[in-house]
Amino acid sequence: MRWCRAVWLAWAVLPASAAITVTDDRGQALTLPQPAQRIVSLLPSLTEGLCALQACDRLVGVDRFSNWPAQVRQLPQLGGLEDTTIERLVRLQPDLVVAAVSARALGRLQALGIPVLALEPKSLADTRRVLDVLAQAIGKPGEGERLWAQIDQGVNAAAARVPPALRGQTVYFEVASAPYAAGASSFVGELLTRLQLVNVVPAAMGPFPKLNPEFVLRAQPAIVMATARAVAEMPGRPGWSALKALQAGRSCGFAEARYEMLVRPGPRLAEAAGLIADCLVTLDGRKP
Amino acid sequence: MNRGSLSLARPADHPALTPGRLGALLALLAGLVGVLGLAAGSEGWSWAWAEDRALIQAIRAPRTLGALAAGALLGLAGALAQGLFRNPLADPFLLGSAAGAGLGVVLVLAAGSVLAAHLAWQPLGWLSQSGVVLAAFVGALGGVALTLLLAGGAARPLKLLLCGVVVGVLMGAVSDLLLMASPEALRGRQMFLLGTTGFLGWTALAWLAGALVLALPLALRFARVLDALVLGDASAASLGLSLPRLRLLLVALMALATGTAVSQAGLVGFVGLVAPHLVRRLVTVTHGPLLLLSAAAGAVLLGAADVAARSVIAPQELPVGVLTALFGGVYLLVLLRRQGSGA
Amino acid sequence: MNRDAMLPLADTALLQAEGLGLVLGGRRVVDQVSLALAPGQWAALVGPNGAGKSSLLSLLAGLKLPDAGRVLLDGRPLADWPARARGQRLAWLSQQGEADGELAGADVVGLGRLPHQGLFGAPSAADAAAVQAAMAETASAAFAQRRLSALSGGERQRVLLARALAVQAPVLLLDEPTTHLDAPHQCALVRSLVQRARAGCAVLAVLHDLNLALAADRLLVLHQGRLVADGPPADAAVRQRLVAVFDNAFSVEGLATAGGTRWVAVPAL
Repeated sequence: MRWCRAVWLAWAVLPASAAITVTDDRGQALTLPQPAQRIVSLLPSLTEGLCALQACDRLVGVDRFSNWPAQVRQLPQLGGLEDTTIERLVRLQPDLVVAAVSARALGRLQALGIPVLALEPKSLADTRRVLDVLAQAIGKPGEGERLWAQIDQGVNAAAARVPPALRGQTVYFEVASAPYAAGASSFVGELLTRLQLVNVVPAAMGPFPKLNPEFVLRAQPAIVMATARAVAEMPGRPGWSALKALQAGRSCGFAEARYEMLVRPGPRLAEAAGLIADCLVTLDGRKP
Repeated sequence: MNRGSLSLARPADHPALTPGRLGALLALLAGLVGVLGLAAGSEGWSWAWAEDRALIQAIRAPRTLGALAAGALLGLAGALAQGLFRNPLADPFLLGSAAGAGLGVVLVLAAGSVLAAHLAWQPLGWLSQSGVVLAAFVGALGGVALTLLLAGGAARPLKLLLCGVVVGVLMGAVSDLLLMASPEALRGRQMFLLGTTGFLGWTALAWLAGALVLALPLALRFARVLDALVLGDASAASLGLSLPRLRLLLVALMALATGTAVSQAGLVGFVGLVAPHLVRRLVTVTHGPLLLLSAAAGAVLLGAADVAARSVIAPQELPVGVLTALFGGVYLLVLLRRQGSGA
Repeated sequence: MNRDAMLPLADTALLQAEGLGLVLGGRRVVDQVSLALAPGQWAALVGPNGAGKSSLLSLLAGLKLPDAGRVLLDGRPLADWPARARGQRLAWLSQQGEADGELAGADVVGLGRLPHQGLFGAPSAADAAAVQAAMAETASAAFAQRRLSALSGGERQRVLLARALAVQAPVLLLDEPTTHLDAPHQCALVRSLVQRARAGCAVLAVLHDLNLALAADRLLVLHQGRLVADGPPADAAVRQRLVAVFDNAFSVEGLATAGGTRWVAVPAL
C-alpha cells in the first residue's frame, strides 16, 4: 500500500499538466502552458500574496518596495512601480510577471512576449479575488480560498478581541499629513468596519479624500489612528489641540514597519487587524 | 551698442570648426553612442553581443535608437523655438506643450483609477499603458492649439509667449486638481515629469522616426523664414513673407516634434534648450544647417544620457531627465561664469 | 553696379501717397499726407521727435494699413500688390533696434535677395553679385563671415544697409539709415544714395542730421503728422518752415562752395 500512496503523493505534487487560463484585473485572459515557475512581482502586496501561497521560492525578481518576508530582499530588485528595469527583468527569463494595473511596464513587457497579469487589490473583496487568481496561476487552485478563509478567521478573531466599550466608536485614520484620510470605502476603512468601528469619513467621500482639517475637528473622532510620527505632531497643528481624542491620549500611532501592513491589501490582513485590535485593547486598558 | 554683450554667450568662432566638420563629428558621436547603447546592459558593460543577441535586438537596440530619435526631435524643436522667438534661451515647451502633455497623462491615469473606484473593476486598464502615450501626444498638441487660439494666431510672438505661459499655468492647475481626486495618478505623473527612455520599443521607435522624417525636411524647407526673422518682423514682412501663416506652420512643426518626443519619453528637459544653443556657440550658420545640426546634437545628448542612465548605477537606472537636467544646469553655469569674466 | 536693372518703367512717380492718415492709440500720427516720389531724386524726411516720420515710412512701405488715403506703387494701389512683387520694387530699412542674431554678415545681406529668390529659391550668380556689390558699397565686405551680434553698432548698421541695397529695388525707403555711423560712413552713405537716385531710383530717407538732410534734392518736413513743407532746400519757404517746426532752435545758412550753395544748420546757442 505504501507504493500506492507514494504514487498518489507523486501525482498530487507534480504540477498539473493541463494549461491554465486566468483573467486579470484588466479583464484580459492569460493562458499559461503550465503553472508559473519563475515569477516576477512588481507590487508588494502581490509579492506577499505569492509568499503566503507558499510560492516564495518561485519568485525570481521583485520591485524595490517589496520587503516581506525577509527572503525577498535577497532577490534582484527591478526598480520601483513606474521605472521597471526592463532588460534586467527579461534576463531573469520569467514565465509570469504580476504587476499593478497602472504599471507602465506592462505594455512593454507584453510587446516583448512576456506573460503578464495585472492585479491591483484595493479592497477586501479584491484581495480575496487576487489571491485566488494567483493561486490558479501557480497551479494551486484551491489554495487561494483556503488562505482567504484563514485570513477571514484571523480578522474575525481580531474583531472579537475589540473591547465592548470601544465597539461602535468613531475613528479617524490618517494616511498622509495633508491631511488625507482613509475613508470607509478604502481597504483600511473596510478593516476598521470589520472591527466594528465607525469611520468619520463616510464611503461617499471616496477612498482617500483630502480633508479640510475643520472636518476632523467637527467630527471629534473618539479614536485617532496614523503613523507614530504623525500622531506626535498632530497636536502642533493649528486647532488640532482641541481634538478630545488627542487630549485624552486615545490615539494609535503605528511604527512605520507595522503601518505598512495596514495599507497593503495582502495576506497580512489578519495581522493588520490584530495590530489595530491590540491598540484598541491598550486604549481600553488605559481607561480609569 | 554691441548687443553681443547682452546675449548669454559670446560665441567663440572656432576657425577650424566648420559646419561640415561639426556635422561629421556629431554623426561620429551618434554612432559611438549607438555602439555603447548596444553594450550597456543591466549587468554592466557587455561586449559579448552574440550571446546577448536577443536582448540587444529586443531591448537595447530600439531603446538606443529611440533615445537618439527623441533627442533629435527635441533638438529640432528647440532650434525652431529659439528661431521663432529670437531668444537663445527658448525651449520647445514654451507654448503649453509640456503642460498639455502632463494634463493628458494625468487625465488618463486619473480616469482609469477613478472609474475603477466607482465601478469596482478595471475595464479601462489598457488606458494606463498605450493610452498614456496617446494622451500625452494629444495633450501636447492640444496645449499648443489652445495657446494659438488664445493668441489669435501666430501673428505676434510676444502675445504667443504670454498665452503659452497662461495655458501652462491653467493646465497645471487642472492637472493638480485631478491629482487630488486620485492620488494614485501621482506616481505615473512623477515618472512622466522625470522622463524615461526605459520603455522605448520598436513601436515607439517607429513613431519617433516617423515624426522625424516628417518634421525635419519640412522644417529645413522653411528654415529661411527663421533667417528672415532675424531682421525683425517688419523687415521680414517687407521682403515679401507672409509671416502669420509661416509662423503658424513652424509652430505646428515644433508642436509635432515636441509632442511625439514627449509622449514617448516623458518631459525630458534641457535637450531642446542646450542642443541648438551649443551648436550656435560653435559655428556660424544660417537656420537650415542649424536645424540639422541641432537635431544631431540633441540626438547625441539624449542618447548619451540614456546610456549613462543605464550604466552609472547598473543594474539600477537613473531617470534620464535627471541626467539631462544635470548636464544642462552645468552647461548654463559654465556659460554664466564665462559671461561674468569674459564679457 | 548694374544700372540697367534699376531703370524705372516710366518717368512718372514710382511711389505716390494720397491723403494718408493713421491713428495710433487714439492719436492722429499721420494726417492727410500726400506726396510723390519720382525717380532720379533723393528726398530727406525730417521733423521733430514724434512727428510721425517712422509711421509715414511704414505706411509708404505697406507695412501698416492707413486709416485714410492710399499708397500707389507704379500706379497700382499697394494693397493690390502681392507681397513678393512688392518686395522686389520697394526696399525698406527699419530704424535700428530689431535686428539681432547669430547670422553671418553675408547671410544677412543675402536676405535682401529673398523677394527675387522666393522662400525656396536657391541663390544664383546674380544674387551673389548683388550681395557682393551691396557690401562693397557700404564698406562691410570685411564682416561677411562675422556674426551680426559680434559687430559694433556702426558695423551692424552698414551690414543692414547693404541688406536693403541688395534688394536692388527702384524705391528705397530708409528709416534713420545714419544711426551709429561715424562721419566718413555717413558721407559714404549719402553719396551712395545720390548715386542710386541718379541711376533712376526713388529714395526717401528719414534723417536726424539736418546738415545731411539739407544736402538732399528734396526736403519733406513733417510736423505733428502733417506735411508742412515739400521742396528743394534752395526754396526759402521750405527753409523757413523747417526752422519754424524746430522752434527756431537753429538757423539755416548758405555756404558758397565750388559746387554751388550748400545749406547748413547752425544751432542758435
